[in-house]
Amino acid sequence: MNAKSDRNYKRSWKNLLINKRYQLRFTLFMVGLSSLLMVGLGIWVMKVANETTEVSMTSIRGEPCPKVPVISSGAPTGDDEDAIPRPSMRLDEPADDAPVAAPPAPDPGSNAEPAPAAGSAEPAAGSAAVGSAASGSAAAGSAATAADSGNAAPVAPDRHVMVQIDESSMTLTVTLPKDYAELVSKHWTCELQQAGRFERLERGRMRILWAMILTGLLLVIGLAAYGIKMTHRVAGPLFKVSLYLSKMRGGRYDKVYNLRKGDQLVQFYNHFKTAHGGVVKMQRDDIARLAEVIAAAEAAGAGQHPATAELRGLLARKEKSVE
Amino acid sequence: MSDPTAATGLTPPRARHHRKLSNYLLDKKLQLRYVLLVTILSAVISAALGYMIYDQRRTASESIEHDLQALTQTDASHQEFQQQISLGLESDDQALIYKMAAVGLGLVIILSAYLVIMTHKVAGPLFKVSMYFDQMADGRIGKVTPLRQGDMLQDFYGDFKDMHEALRTRSLADVAAMEHALTALRDASDAGTGAKLDSALDALSQHIAQRKKQLA
Repeated sequence: MNAKSDRNYKRSWKNLLINKRYQLRFTLFMVGLSSLLMVGLGIWVMKVANETTEVSMTSIRGEPCPKVPVISSGAPTGDDEDAIPRPSMRLDEPADDAPVAAPPAPDPGSNAEPAPAAGSAEPAAGSAAVGSAASGSAAAGSAATAADSGNAAPVAPDRHVMVQIDESSMTLTVTLPKDYAELVSKHWTCELQQAGRFERLERGRMRILWAMILTGLLLVIGLAAYGIKMTHRVAGPLFKVSLYLSKMRGGRYDKVYNLRKGDQLVQFYNHFKTAHGGVVKMQRDDIARLAEVIAAAEAAGAGQHPATAELRGLLARKEKSVE
Repeated sequence: MSDPTAATGLTPPRARHHRKLSNYLLDKKLQLRYVLLVTILSAVISAALGYMIYDQRRTASESIEHDLQALTQTDASHQEFQQQISLGLESDDQALIYKMAAVGLGLVIILSAYLVIMTHKVAGPLFKVSMYFDQMADGRIGKVTPLRQGDMLQDFYGDFKDMHEALRTRSLADVAAMEHALTALRDASDAGTGAKLDSALDALSQHIAQRKKQLA
């Protein structure tokens, strides 16, 4: 890695998670806390919003709309209904308004003629029902026969009634208030306005819900991305230092390059650079000392001594480590 | 990064060290950045949603007050009742603000304290490694003690510890090799190889002594 390529290096998204344990811990804490707050307070918000919507709806319901006037042909008095006679449910009880009641059966001894009975039945028969009239004549006939024979057996009263309904006509006059159309229009305008207000309230409530869900989702996604990127600025330098530590473990003391712009732990990295420099200095001191001893040994004629050869090996290794 | 558990047992564990409250902020820049970010974010979320709660509550109260006013405006005797209800609702709304502010403040304080502790578990190991780096800069490669229980960055610390141990072992081996060569060459020097070599060997001897001191 040289200085130029180091400067041009751009972070790639797939490489942002260098230290999963550290980065995910901090990011998830941040995201989890925000989600918890959003959900908890969001439920509270919705609870209060529901109450407010309910109160507002109740308030709207409390505002009465003008009523539509009732269409009628006059004020109902109830006189007609009272005038209708109540029919008796007992067959042996004569109706109060029966036009003609059948007279009781004449005493056989009184020599009464049954004709009036027949005659009284006649007008009732009239044109109303031919059948009834026929049966009425038959009854009169049988009554006369009974009277003629002088039989004392009682005669059953004739229960057939002749009813005649005259033609009649009724005129319904509808009376509308003068401002009827205006009142109807006002009523339905009010009803529709109330329905619109209900809908607006409900829409407002749903808007709060969706706004919070959307905001929450965006917040979680944004925080997750930002959290990973933020922690990467700490994990990045640590990763870089780890690479150098790995080299140092293997006995290689390469040149240490600067951190990228925007990275954190700059102070920590400076400590590392100083330490690296200290180790390199140790190696150079060793190299200098060994080179001096080897040179002296060679000058003294001990260049082929095994100890000198050992020092040469050590020197070569140390020189290679700081290249 | 290597397994952190593999590199934490070189020295016997010390007695459990307790953190001091005053030492929790080791790396202010690193710690406060995260603490402030999370705290401000939580405060903003709480404030925004809290305002929404208050706003909705106030709207409901105003609606009730309005309805009550419409109901009681024809009867003057109900005026006092209406005022009483209005004051009650206003007082409830005020109480809600205070409650939410108190909960928010508590949340911020607890959260900040927790986050300082949480970030300290990252800043602690970095601080410790920084101290070892300073020692290395002086040429001192002593022994490395393990991290405290609960500290983070165990992987990184394991890497550091591996490097430190390797460097120490290699340095000790180098010192041993130099010492061995020194003894052998001194024996050869005694046989009359020259004063220059003796001088070089004396310097090497001092160098070895210094290295031994640094590695102690």
